[in-house]
Parts: sequence; C-alpha cells; structure tokens
Amino acid sequence: MSELVTLTVDERQVQVPKGTGLVETAAAAGVEIPVFCYEPRLGPPVGACRMCLVEIEGMPKLQAGCTLTAQDGMVIRTAATSKKAADGQNATLEFILVNHPLDCPVCDKGGECPLQDLTFRFGPGTTRMSYSKLTFDKPIPISPTIALDRERCILCYRCTRFSAQVAEDEQLVAINRGAHSIIATFEDEPYRAPFSGNVVELCPVGALTSTQYRFEARPWEIQNVPTVCGLCPAGCNVSATTREGRVKRILSRNHPEIDRGWLCDKGRFTYPHLYAADRVREPLVRRPRRGLEPVAWEEALDEVERLLREAGGHVVTALSGTETIEQAYALGRLLREGLGAHSAVLPESTSSALDAFRAPLATIGSAELVVVVGDDAVADRAPIVDLWLRQARRSGADVVVVGPAGAVQVAPGEAAAALQALLDDGSELGARLRSSERAVLIWSGPGGGGGARLAEAAHGLGFEGRPGCAAFHLPASPNARAVAEAWSCAADEDESDPEPIRLLIVSGDEAAGSASVRVLAEQAAATVVIGMFQGLAGGWADVVLPATSYLEREGTTMNLEGRLQRLRRAVLAPVPDELAWLSALAARFGVEVPAQAPAVFEELSPRIFGGITEAEVDERQPLAGRAPYAPPPPAAETKVAAPAAPTDEHLLGELRLVRYRPLFSGPQVERVPELQFQRPEPVVELAAADAERRGIVSGDLVSVRSNGTAVDLLARVDRRLIAGVARVAEEHAGDLHVGVEVVKR
Amino acid sequence: MSALGDRIREVAAHYPERRSAIIPALQLAQEDHGGWLPPEAFREVAEALEVTPAYCFSIASFYDMFRLEPAARTTVEVCTNISCAAVGAQQVLEAFERELGTRPGETSDDGAFHLGTIECLGGCGWATVIAIDDRQRVGVRPEDVPAIVEELRGDGA
Amino acid sequence: MATAPEIPEIVFAGTEGGAVTDLDAYVQAGGFRALAKARAMAPDEVIEEVSTSDLRGRGGAAFPTGRKWSFVPKPEQLPKPHYVVVNADESEPGSFKDREIMERVPFRFIEGCLIAAYANQATHVFIYIRGEYDRPFEVLRDALEQVRARADLLGGVTIVLHRGAGAYICGEETALLESLEGERGQPRTKPPFPAVAGLYASPTVVNNVESIVTVTPILELGGAEYAQVGVENSTGTRVFSLSGNVVNGGNFELVSGTTLRELIDVHGGGIAGGRRLKAICPGGLSSPILTADQVDTPLDITSLAEAGSAIGSAGVIVLDDRCCMVEYALRASRFYEHESCGKCTPCRVGTRWLSQILQSIEDGHGTQADLDLLLDVCDRVNGKCLCVLGDSDALVVASCLDKFRDDFQAHIDLGRCPFEESPLAGVLAPAVQHERRFHRELDVIPA
Repeated sequence: MSELVTLTVDERQVQVPKGTGLVETAAAAGVEIPVFCYEPRLGPPVGACRMCLVEIEGMPKLQAGCTLTAQDGMVIRTAATSKKAADGQNATLEFILVNHPLDCPVCDKGGECPLQDLTFRFGPGTTRMSYSKLTFDKPIPISPTIALDRERCILCYRCTRFSAQVAEDEQLVAINRGAHSIIATFEDEPYRAPFSGNVVELCPVGALTSTQYRFEARPWEIQNVPTVCGLCPAGCNVSATTREGRVKRILSRNHPEIDRGWLCDKGRFTYPHLYAADRVREPLVRRPRRGLEPVAWEEALDEVERLLREAGGHVVTALSGTETIEQAYALGRLLREGLGAHSAVLPESTSSALDAFRAPLATIGSAELVVVVGDDAVADRAPIVDLWLRQARRSGADVVVVGPAGAVQVAPGEAAAALQALLDDGSELGARLRSSERAVLIWSGPGGGGGARLAEAAHGLGFEGRPGCAAFHLPASPNARAVAEAWSCAADEDESDPEPIRLLIVSGDEAAGSASVRVLAEQAAATVVIGMFQGLAGGWADVVLPATSYLEREGTTMNLEGRLQRLRRAVLAPVPDELAWLSALAARFGVEVPAQAPAVFEELSPRIFGGITEAEVDERQPLAGRAPYAPPPPAAETKVAAPAAPTDEHLLGELRLVRYRPLFSGPQVERVPELQFQRPEPVVELAAADAERRGIVSGDLVSVRSNGTAVDLLARVDRRLIAGVARVAEEHAGDLHVGVEVVKR
Repeated sequence: MSALGDRIREVAAHYPERRSAIIPALQLAQEDHGGWLPPEAFREVAEALEVTPAYCFSIASFYDMFRLEPAARTTVEVCTNISCAAVGAQQVLEAFERELGTRPGETSDDGAFHLGTIECLGGCGWATVIAIDDRQRVGVRPEDVPAIVEELRGDGA
Repeated sequence: MATAPEIPEIVFAGTEGGAVTDLDAYVQAGGFRALAKARAMAPDEVIEEVSTSDLRGRGGAAFPTGRKWSFVPKPEQLPKPHYVVVNADESEPGSFKDREIMERVPFRFIEGCLIAAYANQATHVFIYIRGEYDRPFEVLRDALEQVRARADLLGGVTIVLHRGAGAYICGEETALLESLEGERGQPRTKPPFPAVAGLYASPTVVNNVESIVTVTPILELGGAEYAQVGVENSTGTRVFSLSGNVVNGGNFELVSGTTLRELIDVHGGGIAGGRRLKAICPGGLSSPILTADQVDTPLDITSLAEAGSAIGSAGVIVLDDRCCMVEYALRASRFYEHESCGKCTPCRVGTRWLSQILQSIEDGHGTQADLDLLLDVCDRVNGKCLCVLGDSDALVVASCLDKFRDDFQAHIDLGRCPFEESPLAGVLAPAVQHERRFHRELDVIPA
C-alpha cells in the first residue's frame, strides 16, 4: 500500500493513495469530474478535451483534473463549488457543441451517449454559433464493420490512442491539423486489425459506430446479457445486447484479470453466425438416393437410438472443445455409462500440471520478462494475450519469442526442445527466468503435451515459489481441458476397443471441419453430427442434430487460465437445447441425466470441481489458487526433422510447409460477410534467404508445389521467419504435403 | 530495397529512436517524388522505418510543407501575414496574378504555376517575403514581379 | 575583460565584415575559448555562471536559463541520457532574429550548444530548425560539417540538425519534443516537465537559439560582467526584430531597456511615408497590442508587462494610421486558427469561431452583440487551453477590441470597413493547410 494523502474536494476531505488521479480522487469523495478524453486504459492522460477543468488552490489557471495526481493538502474545487471551474466546463461544452451536428434523433449513440448526457446536465440550452459548422461526408465506412461520422467527432483521440498505444496497429490516425483535424485510415484502406472494434466502444459520441448495430435498436429496447465469449480459450467477458430475442451486438465486459475491457473483432462481430443461412434448424436424416431430409425430433432420436444400439459399443465420439462442461458430461454419461462407448477423439487440451503455475492473464502485463515458445503466433490462438504482451513490452518488459518467426528462431516442431534447453546450465535466458520475480512462460502452438513440457520447464526454473511468475498454455479450442475432464469423469470404466467403428459421433462444427475426423467418418459405418451448420456435415453425415451456439447456452466453461466461467443464454436458440434431447436420449438407455445445466453441474461438480455450485461461478469469477506441482506424464513426441539446407545453390532445397489457423477463421467467421475482409490473403510467407535464392520478392505470384498438387499464392517475404519453411494459412494450403517447393510464376 | 529506403535508414541512424526520422524521411520522399507525396511514397517511407503508412500520412498532413496533391512545376507562395501585408503583400500578390494569369489558390491551366498565399515565413523585416518551391526571396516589391516570372518561365522552358 | 564593450554588440560581435562562416576565421578571432573555459570548470559552475548573468529565455517565456538548467537531475540521480534541444523553430510572426543569428554567427551558436551540453552533461544536442529557413539550414549544416571534423571541439557530443516541416506549434517546447520524437507536434501536459522527462522521457533542456548563442559571451565575459549590461530583470542585449510600416526593417541588437521610440525612430528610421504611428505589437504577434501613446515604453520584461503586453520574442511590428485593427485581429486570428494543433477543444474550436466572428464584422455584417460575443469567446478560450496558442489568440483579439474599440464600432455602425486604404485588407492565407478531400463511396454502409 502506498502512502496515503489527504485532500479536499469541494469541501469534502478524502484520503487516497498518493499519485491517484484527480478524477478517481474526486470520485472517492463522491464528486464527479466529467470527462471525455480521459481513459486510463489508453495510457498517460492527454488533457485534450478540457471537460475536466477544475480549480486548484494555489494555481492561477484552471487545471485539467485528469492530468494531475493527488498530492497531500491539495484543495480542489469542481464546477459544483467553483464558479471559475463551472465557467471553464461550460466553455468546453459550448466549444464541443459548436461543430457537433446535434443529430441525436438519428444517431445510434443516442440514449447511451456521454456527450448527450453531459450536455443535458451542464450544457447551454441554445447555441451562439451562427456561422457555418464544419461539414463532412457522412457516414463513411472505415471498414466493413465500422462507420465514421466526422461531424459528430469531438476529437478526444481515444480511438487513435487505442490504435497507437494499446493495439499498436497504428492504422486509425488523426490527419490534418487544428479545426480541420479528422480521424482517418490510410487512403481508402479499411481499418484491418484484430482489435479494431474497440474504438466503437471507446468513442464517447456517435462518431464511430458499428455497421452491424446501425439503426438496429435503442437503448431502452435492449437487454444486455452478461456472458463469456466462446470463440477462443481466453474466455473474454462480454455482454450480449439483445432486442426482441435476437442478438444485436456484443460488447466487452471488463474483467480486469482477463481482458481489461478489450475484445477482439472475432469475439465482437461474429454473432451473426446465429442467423446463418445454412443453420441447421431441424434434425436431418439421410435417405437412400434422396440425401439428408428434415425429420421430426422423435423420428431423429429413434434413428439415433437405432444406430447406437446397432453399434454395440463400437462408437467413437469426436469432441470439438467448444461444448460446455455440462454438455460434454451429459454426452459422456449417455455414451460411456449407457453404451460402454468410451472412445473419444479429444481436441488438444491443457495439462493439469500447469495448475501449479496458475495466475491471471493480467500477470503478463506486469511481468519483466516474458518468453513465448511455440510454432504459432499468439494473436492467432488467443488474441487478448497478444494485447497483454504488448502492454508488458510498453511497460519495459523484455518479451522474447522463441519460434519460427521469433527473435530466437527455432524451426517448426523444435519448440519443445528449445523449451527444454532453457533448463540447461549455459542458457542465458534460462538464468534470467530463474532469477526473475516477474517472469512468464507461454506455450503458443501445437504439441508440447498440451503444456506438459511447459509445466516441466516452469518447475525446473523454480516458478512454484514465486507468485509473480506464471506459465500459460494457449490451446486451440475454447474449452478443451474441461470438456476432456467432464468426459472422463462421466464414467470410470476402462478404455474399450472401438474397432471396427460402427458409429462416429461428431460433436460440434469444429470437429466436423477437422480433416482427421473426416478420415474417421470414412471408416465408420455411420456418422451422427451435432452441428450448427449444414455446409460442414451435409455431404457425409447420416444424421445431423441441430446444435446451439455459445450465445444460446447456459453452462460453464474453463478458460486457459483454469478459471471456471459461466455462460448465460443471451437468446433462445431456434432449436432445442442439447441437454434437453441428450437427457431424453439417455433415458432410453436407462441413464438419468438432468436436462438443465445447473443440475448437471451439481452432479459433476463433486467429481471434478470440489463440489462448488453453479451459482458460485459468478459474473466475474476469481481464479482458483495454485495446485501443488504434479509431474505430467513424460513426453512421447517424436520430433520432425527439419529439411537440410541446400548446399548447392542450383539445387533448391525443399521447404517445409507450415500451416497455421488464423484468428479470423472457423465455421462462425466464415458465415459473417462483414468479417471476410479480416481473413488472410492467399499468401505464402518465406524467409528472406529462401525468397532471394528463388528470385522471389514480396508481391510475386508463386506456385507452391508438393507431390502432385500445387497452389498459386502471393509471396510475402518475412524477415523474421526462419529459413526452410513456407508458411500458409490453413484455408489457403489446400491438399499440399509437408514438403513443398515454391517457384515464381 | 529501394535507394530511397537506404537513404531513409541512413538518416534514421542519426537518432536514438527510429521514429524521430519521420520528418526527414518524408522530406526525402517528397524530393524523390517531384515535390509531393503520392500514396506509394508513404508506403516506401513506412517500409523503411517499419511503421504504418497511416502513421506516415498522419505526420505528413500535420505539417504545411508536405504536399499531398501533385505539385505544379513551380509553386509561388506570397506571405500575407501582418508585417508583409502592412508593406504591400497584396500588391505583390496581384502582380503575380497578372503575370502568371493565375488566381491565388489556383494552378495555371498548363500545370506550370501554382500561386498561393502563406502564413509568416520569418523574414518580416524584409517584406514582402515569397517562397518559390520553398526557396525564400525577401524584399519583393510589385515591380520586381515581372522579372521574377520571366526568370521562372525561362527556367522551365 | 574589464569593462563592458562600448558598442554593446554581444551576439553579433565580430560580424562587421559579414557573416562568420569559416571555422578557422572564427577560431582565430577567439572562437571556442568560452567552450574551453567552460570545460575547465565543473558543469555546476557553468550553470552558476549562467545563473549569475540572469539570462532570460529569448524564445518568449523569459524563464531564467540558469534556473532551467539547474532543474535537470544529475546523471547520477537519474541515470538516463541527457539531451539539449535547441528551439530554432522561430515562427512567431514579427520575429526573425534567430535566422540571422544562425546565418551570421553559426559558430558562436554551435559553441553555445556545446557549452550547454557540457553544463547539462548531455550526450546529444538536437537543433530543431524551422523547415522554411532554407538558407540558415544550409549555413548551419556547413558549419556543423566543419565542426564535426574537430573531435576536440565536439568533446564526444553528437549534434543533430533536424529540419522541421512547417508548424508554428512546434515552437512550443513540448510540441517540439513530440515532433522530434516523430509524433504530430502537439503539446504535452505538464507535469512532467522536460527537465525531468523530455525527449524520449529523458532529462532535457530546451532553449531558444538566442539564449544559446548568448551563453558563449556570458562564459567569455563572466556572468556578473554580462549582467552589467541592460536593466534589472532584463540583462544584456537583445536582438530586436523590427518590421511593418518603418523605413528600415531588420534586426537590431540593442541593450535591453531601449525604448520603442528609439528602436522605431533612430534604428528603424521612423514611420514610412511620413505617416503617423497607430499601433505597436512589441513582442511578436502573440503579445497584446500597444497604442501609439505607449511608444516611450522601454523594451524590457518588466516595463512591457506593466504596459499590459509582453517582451515575448522581441519582434516589434509597427502599424501606421492607415491600418484597420479589425483586419489586424482577423489576420492574427486566422493565423492561430491555421496553426492550432487541434489537440485541445477551446483552441481548436475557439480560434476558428473567433475568425468567423471577426470576418463577419470586417465584412460589415457584425452587430453590437457580436462585440460582446467576441469578448466572451476570448474569455472562454483564455486560460482553458493546453498550451498558450489559443490563449494568445484570445489575448490579442481582446487587446485589439480593448485598445481600438472605435475601429470595431465603426464597422458595426457603417456596415462596412471604413479603412479604405488599409494595407491589411486583401487575400488571407488559407485556414486549411491541406485542401485534399477525403471522400469515399458512401453506399458501402447499408442504410
């Protein structure tokens, strides 16, 4: 606790820690200092809008309260008790309104607009501005998801500060000078960055609005449902704004330990997938020569029951890791207890050994040393973690990336060895990790035993005794670990041999989209898919049962920190809840599973969560404490050898194809037209040396070839990328094999 | 890597932090692109300094001396701030209007001349101050203008 | 040296034969002795010497230079690089002294830079020179080239000549630092002050060209000797820039405390064309206007403050009796509107609004109520802004209305400008610095 100082705000005494901002100090005294530009999450205050002018004893001029900090004995007078401060505040509001169009009746911000509120409370009733206002074309799209109305803009620079100092994409900027300053992107290029949508929430007026929410609702018609984003393992807290049973927008809901109120564009703008044209609304059953046909629910369940009985335990279940804990558990009870079908294909999960190094994600932001190991970019796996890394770097931390495009270059597949090498006596980085009180290790990529190797490293570096040190694994799916645990606790029989596979059950669209699951489907006699979208399983499933989205579910999930969080149903799904029909189906096999999520949770909680109730998983769930370190099972991975570098310049060596799953991908994103601009271009990234050897420069059209197959892509030279690899987004890689050659076309 | 990029990186090396070189970098780019900054100039500067084109544009548009529109072959700017105005900048301006056949703020039809007015150039005691393609001339009187224009036309021919 | 020189040329001493642009010539005439003297002293002793001289900042704020330097934490207290930044972004209308200093005595200036670097234990000196100053830039670049060949003179200090690109606001010290860091030149809030967290958040002193060049003779003469020249609170000489309706415009280095009358009549040759004096702007455009009957005011900090104005950057603009003071206020306000950085609301909006009101009055459309509105808007801008740019507009416009209310009233009464011969009429510079439109297809957003 820092030193306390005593101040007077509008004749009220207040004690706050020295250095507290005056806005917060006044709030502690129960006094409001109105602000527009002030937003502590955006970095140091700028004092631009001048809404917060206050009088401070001993200072001749009015001061911008947001730029000063509490000092002992300070006497502050706000507009409430100082005529001078009130004059200043009135002056500011009058100036802000001089060019503002006051088009509140047609403005989306109306009703939830700080400018409207402050004008109503403090502003002049009439205008003295009788000359021409500044006019601009309105509104203009700065991207397919964001509209900009420059006439409404009050130039608080919140959006540009976010772009420059938080997301660090520096694409939304102020241009020109003085009265003619405006917010813009470069030329006509869209604001294309993973966190762009936050500027809509930051804007204190109706200048930056969401194109999705445009003219959709008024604040008095909406409800905001507090829930959790289900699109990546971070589990950012969100509010789903609904009107008349439809989701209209997603807003961030500040959880200071997880997301600090920031939300990526995938989490924010993907909700229209609920209304996708190919959404499965009725059960579908394959008929000979007629394909999939809609059937009544009873008939569908009869068909599934028949398939299950015929399979006689030769069932494999492929899970997506997007299920709620309750769904996975109910599915497990039905299949494992009811049928003895224990075989499951589980998504990449997180090792429980990491519980010994558990900490809030915010720990990264205050670290002094962060080492990120793995093949994938952090932003593609858990984008909010990338913002924490940027914050750490801005605060002076050393962020070292060990990977194919890292400062420490490591070939794909070699990351686990690089992690192990940190424990070597000679490792300088290892020595720094060992001696730091604020060090964080992050695993960002496949392999590594789902963080097991990371846990071993953290243990070897002595992280247990140091609460400021933490280790995080970034899994590929939102809830894989808890899904695996729920599935596993549903029954305690041993693994059975499913071969030959008579029935494959595919839970979720992500599993349905997976190539390895497709291979299983070809082996299985029959396949049942539980999915939201017909496009994914329409061609090969025998039965499709409609699924719900995370926005339509009650239940719990566990994020990558190991934090239990609660999903709340924002809107009713157009299809029955999974738990409802799972419960009915289970009953046919003599298994009793509740149809409501809280009851399911109550049943499973003693098995894996120490018996806490769903009610205890509250809206801003704190993180459980650290567990004692339990060594994970040892590594059983085989390393993939990197291709040898060519010795003869004329003999071009093969490149290793590295596929990655970009942030803007997946079945939901694919169904939102306004997000398509965020998807990666058809590009192959090459190291400078590899490109040079082939006479390729950025922008060249190249052919990426492997045995018998080829894909045409644009080349991009990435100076950070390790030699010997060709990096391509999954969706552009087609059927390429792991060894490829790249030739200029 | 372009020659411009090399020059920019060379200049940037003089500063403790790379971004400090943005103004000199834009100046080099403007010189390279015939007196103005087309979109590709911003892309080149951005690549050399490892920043975004949007940032480069944000900086360029803040300052008066970066031109965001194609430049005329010759740009004549007459200071009209108080000291120059007091001793007859308006008459100098009118003389240029007559000689160039171009109104203030406009470019001649053949794209040869742009005539503009400009805020104080910092030579107030030697009014009227004008700038021809950013080169200053001081003590310009209306009667000097025909010779200046003749000289400029001669340069271009 | 025992006595103050009779002809008090301190800044421009030794330039009788023209500009001194050759390093050898400068050294032969005794150049760089002050630097050697300084380096024989402890850095704190150099600061003490400057404090003793009572040198006040020549950029406009008149802050004691020695005191400014004493605020910089020592490297052992704050182990970061220390920087000296020279404000050569002279852009105040009416001021053109720094350009002549850089052109005529570049080595005395560079010597001052090196003394300042030594006193403040700085590794780098950045000279931020105004982009429009083509010739001074070239002279300084050549001079620096000569000095760089002499490692002994540099003493390990790096001098970077940084050319601006046209923005008056970059003369404000924190805006200058932002610009030098590669940002838009918008002022920062204070605290923190540059002395503690300036360039790259490191300890930084920012001084005007004339302040820096004066450090050289201060070290030569000794601070006490220098303080003998001039008057209390305004020691030494100043380079006064004289412009407007005088016979001889130009820079005149005179002892501080010389009267406006002497500057205008003796050095400037009086009002041109035999006309009568109407108004004087004594310290650059941002200093409130003075009337003709204030012509006996001495040009020093105290006297001008007492007269309701300021010494500012010592740029004296003289206006004769043809001039319309509404037009003066309009031209001034348009300048501030053009130069407002756009960061804080009152300045960004207020400067444009003031220009609009003044234009309306000048065009004969003003009403009596507009005069009250004009003053009220000035009042609402003044003291509310992040830096002094907006305040300056408000003060200048309000001083014009206060001192020359009859001029304004006549516009209202006649419904036109009554000053038919005013040279201040005519085309103004554009308020927008870049005319480029940012227009895009509007049909992308679904209605």
